[in-house]
Amino acid sequence: MTGRIEALEDVIETALKVGLALSTGLLLVGLIAGAGRPLRWGILLLMLTPVVRVAVVTAGLAVERDWTFTAVSFVVLAILLSGIWVSVHR
Amino acid sequence: MPVHHVLLYLFTGAAAGLVGAMLGIGGGVFLVPLLTLVLGVPIRAAVAASLISVIATATASSTVNLDRGLVNMRLAMALEVATSIGGLGGGLAASLLSTQQLFVLFGGTLAVMGALMLLRSGRRNVIADTSVDPGRLGGRLQEGDTTYVYRVRRLNLALAASLVAGAVSGLLGLGGGIIKVPVLNTFCGVPIRVAAATSAFMIGVTAAASVFVYFARGDVVLPVAAAVALGALPGSIAGARLGQRVEARALKIFMAAVLLLVGGRMALEVL
Repeated sequence: MTGRIEALEDVIETALKVGLALSTGLLLVGLIAGAGRPLRWGILLLMLTPVVRVAVVTAGLAVERDWTFTAVSFVVLAILLSGIWVSVHR
Repeated sequence: MPVHHVLLYLFTGAAAGLVGAMLGIGGGVFLVPLLTLVLGVPIRAAVAASLISVIATATASSTVNLDRGLVNMRLAMALEVATSIGGLGGGLAASLLSTQQLFVLFGGTLAVMGALMLLRSGRRNVIADTSVDPGRLGGRLQEGDTTYVYRVRRLNLALAASLVAGAVSGLLGLGGGIIKVPVLNTFCGVPIRVAAATSAFMIGVTAAASVFVYFARGDVVLPVAAAVALGALPGSIAGARLGQRVEARALKIFMAAVLLLVGGRMALEVL
């Protein structure tokens, strides 16, 4: 079990690094060029990184058939997605 | 925005990220007062920038902490349910509270946590006997050549604290680690380094539960949030690395001092 959690941690680490690299690039371009659009996308991408992280964990645990924690992680994902839904529809 | 303002926001973000990642609290606790009191940013824009910076800190420091095996994933997942519910509720409720009420809530919370942390800074949570079963939520911690075991106690209290932490996070732009780290460490048996790393891992999710509400409401001032977050990234990577080299007791006392100072400062603002 511990070994599998470690493998999942590696996948999460990669997802976090990709999210960070992309949003950092956009934010840098936006700030240096004084452009609103890359800033907006950079911020949105950064905001979405934790959501993607939870989605990766949920999928990873489902693959591992750890159903208890898949359910726990899915609840977190559902709360985050409902937060986005509420924000868009207010 | 003038260049010296950008540099000021970058530096502020870096400082908050450094201390925030070291203590697992995200840095919102310094950012909100710094942005509002020193740089004159309106409180809701400061809270929004802080939440985005907390996400940057959580993401960057977790890449370091996951590598070193300090994050307790199962505990984080269990507590994230409570923090994200609280976070979403706090974000939605933020528009119902006045600035003064937000300040009082912020200052009061910090001072109480600081006193608590200081009182119990001498206690250690780890067991040197590695044959002890850590249980489903507990774990092992490597410090130098020694491996320790820890067990998680009072999960209900940890869940309740996480719910409150989430709500406070959504209201005040913190990561919520400011409540979780002291409670996990002083009451639930989690070693300070694991509490900090696990909290740092969670706070991005807590902040993400409320940040979209702020974004949709137009509270995110893009250049401010971007500069603060860009500063927080290198700051928090450095903070996460530094946190592993400092003595556990020193970390606790440092955290208590920070809480008391910032809490007192915010409370004074209202009086």
